[in-house]
Amino acid sequence: MTYSSTLAMGRQQSLSRGATQSSSLSRGANSVSFKVTDKRLGPISNTIVLIVLACLLGLLYLTQVTKTNAYGYQINGLQHQQSKLQQQHEDLAVASARLQSMDRVSSSAQAADMSQTTPSGSVQ
Amino acid sequence: MNQQPAPTTVNPVQRVRVWYALILLVFGLFAVRLFYLQIIRYDYYKQAARSDQLKQYTVAAERGVITAHLGESTVPIVMNQKLYTLYADPTIVKHPEEVAAKLQSLIGGNTDDYTALLKTKDTRYVILKKRLSEDQSNKIVALKSPGIGTEEQDYRTYPQGTLAAQLLGFVDNDGKGEYGVEQALNTRLQGTPGQLKAVTDINGVPLAASPNNISTPPVPGDNVNLTIDVGLQSNLEKILKAEQEQHKSKDVSAIIMDVHSGAIKAMANYPTYDPANYQQVDDASLFQNDSVATPIEPGSITKLFTTATALQKGAITPTSSFYDPGSWTVDGAKISDVEEDHSTGQQTVLSTLDKSLNTGAFWMLKQIGGGDVNSQARNTLYDYFTKHFGLGQATGVEQGYEAGGYVPKPADNGAAINLTYGEMSFGQAYTATALQMISGFSSLVNGGTYYQPYLIDQYKSADGKVTTVAPKAERSGVISKQVSDEMVSLLEQNNANHIREGFRYLDFGPNYVVGGKTGTAEIADPAGGYYVNKNNGTYVGFVGGDNPQYAIVVYNMEPSHYAGFAGAATGQSVFGNIAHMVVNDFGVTPKRR
Repeated sequence: MTYSSTLAMGRQQSLSRGATQSSSLSRGANSVSFKVTDKRLGPISNTIVLIVLACLLGLLYLTQVTKTNAYGYQINGLQHQQSKLQQQHEDLAVASARLQSMDRVSSSAQAADMSQTTPSGSVQ
Repeated sequence: MNQQPAPTTVNPVQRVRVWYALILLVFGLFAVRLFYLQIIRYDYYKQAARSDQLKQYTVAAERGVITAHLGESTVPIVMNQKLYTLYADPTIVKHPEEVAAKLQSLIGGNTDDYTALLKTKDTRYVILKKRLSEDQSNKIVALKSPGIGTEEQDYRTYPQGTLAAQLLGFVDNDGKGEYGVEQALNTRLQGTPGQLKAVTDINGVPLAASPNNISTPPVPGDNVNLTIDVGLQSNLEKILKAEQEQHKSKDVSAIIMDVHSGAIKAMANYPTYDPANYQQVDDASLFQNDSVATPIEPGSITKLFTTATALQKGAITPTSSFYDPGSWTVDGAKISDVEEDHSTGQQTVLSTLDKSLNTGAFWMLKQIGGGDVNSQARNTLYDYFTKHFGLGQATGVEQGYEAGGYVPKPADNGAAINLTYGEMSFGQAYTATALQMISGFSSLVNGGTYYQPYLIDQYKSADGKVTTVAPKAERSGVISKQVSDEMVSLLEQNNANHIREGFRYLDFGPNYVVGGKTGTAEIADPAGGYYVNKNNGTYVGFVGGDNPQYAIVVYNMEPSHYAGFAGAATGQSVFGNIAHMVVNDFGVTPKRR
C-alpha cells in the first residue's frame, strides 16, 4: 500500500465516522467524542528525526572534542608556564652559585678587609 | 529546388533526460573517484594524513648536575642553563647593514662581522651569536626582523669558573660529554630523552583529544657529587699556577688522596682552560687531565716501591746496609747516580732514599733476585709493580681518556732486559700516571690495602634515590702491615733528614707525621736516548697525625733551570706548599699520642 492510498483510506474512515455521528445525534447527547486513533510517524518524519538525532549526537561529540582540545591548549599553556618558571628557578640557582663561588668570595670587599693570619702553632 | 531540411524538433523531456544523464554521469565519476580515494587508497591517505597531523618530538632530558664538597656542605660546580643562539637566513634579510646595527645595539659585538655574516651567499642558516640571555633573545624577537631568529639551547655553566676544568671535562654541541667526568659518566649524566607523539594543530600545539597521542616523559640524568673539596681544589690550583709560573714548567699536576679510602680530594693540572669557552682553546692537549692521561717515567719516587718489594720479600730489612761501589754494570751498561762522582762506601736503605741512590735501588733489586738481577728479581718486581701497586695499569677512575702506562714484561727478550729492570728499580724504563703513583703509594702507607681511586661520592637519580659510593678495597695485603709501618718510618726519617739538610719548609712540628720522596726523572727523546738538559720533577708523600691521612703526588714537567735535581727543587717544594695548606686549612687530625 502506498502512502497516498493510506491517506485516502484514512479520510474515508473519518468521513464515515462523521456520518454516523450526525445521524444518531439526539438532544442532550454529546456531539464530541474522544477516540484514540492509531497514529504512526511516517517514513519522512522518521528520517527527519533520525537526521536530527544524528546531528545532535554529532554536535555533542564536537562540543566534547572541542572542549577536550581546549583543555589541551590550557595544558600546553600551563606547561609553558611551568617550563618558564623552571627556567627562572635554574637561572636563579646559577646566579646564586656564582655569587657564592670561591673566586667571587675571595675577591669580595669583605674578604679584602680580612687580614692574613699565620698559624701560631699546631693543635695540641 | 533545394529541399530545406526539416527542422529538428527536440523533445523537452528528452533534453531533460540527457541533462539528467550527464549529471548522473558526473556524479557517477565523482562516486567512482571517491570510491577509489576513500576505499581503495584508504590506507595510503590515512597514513599521509597521520604523518601530517601527527608530530613526533624528542624531549631532551636534563643533564645531571655535578656538585662537590665545600667543608661539610656541597656546592654545584657544573649546572645547566638555557641560553639562546641567534641565527639568520641571509636569503630573507633585506637590509643587512641596518639589521646588523640594530643587533649590535642589543647584544654588542662587531657590526661589520654581523653584516658580513648576513651577506653570506648560498646558505640559509648562519649563526650570528651564541649564549644570549633570555632577555636579549626577547628583544631580538621583538624587532620582528625578517630572517632573524633565536633558538633555545641547553648549555653547561660553571659557577666556579675554571675550577677543576680538566677533571670535569665539557659537553660538546651535540650534548656529548668530552674528557673528564663528563665523558666517563656521559651515559649516566645525560639521562633518557622523552618522546611526544601527538596530533597537533597548525601551530604544532598537541590536541589532547587524540587517542593516538603518546607521551613518554624524559628521565633526567643522575646528579653526581664528587669526592673533591672545592676549597682544597681551589688552593691546590693556586699553588700549581704559582709553581708553573715561577719555574716555567711545561705543566704541573698534583693529586691529594685520602689514603684510607682512595677518595680523591683534589686533582689539578696547570695550565688549564675555561670549560665554558672550550671552543676557543687551540691546543687540544689542554683538555687532557694529565694526572690520569699522561704516563711518564716517574723517576726516583719509584725507589719506594722497590724498597717495599724488597722488604716484603725479606730480601732486605730497614736497617740493611751494603757497599756502594759507585756504579754497577749490567748487560754491558753502567748504572750510576745523577751525581756521577758521589763517594763510594757503605750505604743503608735510608741513605738510599735520602740521597736517592740509583745504585742503592739496583742493589735492592739484586737482593730480591737472591744476589743478582735475574728472572726471579724481574718476575717479582713486575708482579709487585703491576699486580700489587697497580703501576702502569689503568685504575678505572671516573675520567675520560685514562691511560694505562707501560711496564716491560719480565721475560728475557734478548734486549738487555736486566738493564731495563735495573733502570725500572729507580724509576726509568717504565711509565705510570700520577694517579697510579699515588694509589700505589697509599697502599704502602695505609697498612697494605690498595684502594681503587675514585672521584664520585654519591649518585642521585631523578626519583631522589641516593647511592653512596663505598671505597673499594681492590687488594688487601699488598704488603704486610709491618712493612707498611716500616715504610712510614723510613719516609718520616727521610723527611727529617731533609729538614736537617736545610729544607725547613718540610718541618710540620711534633704533632704531624710527614714523609715523602723526591724524583728527578729523565725524559725519553723520541730520537733515542734521553734529553740531556730536561727533567721532570716528581714527589710523592703523605701528611697525617697518628697515621698518614692524605697522600700527595706532584708531577712537575720540565721545570726550567733544574735539570738533574728537579725533584728536590720543584717537586718537593710544591709538596711542601700543598702539605702546609692541607694541614693548616683542611682538618688533618694531629697526633693524639
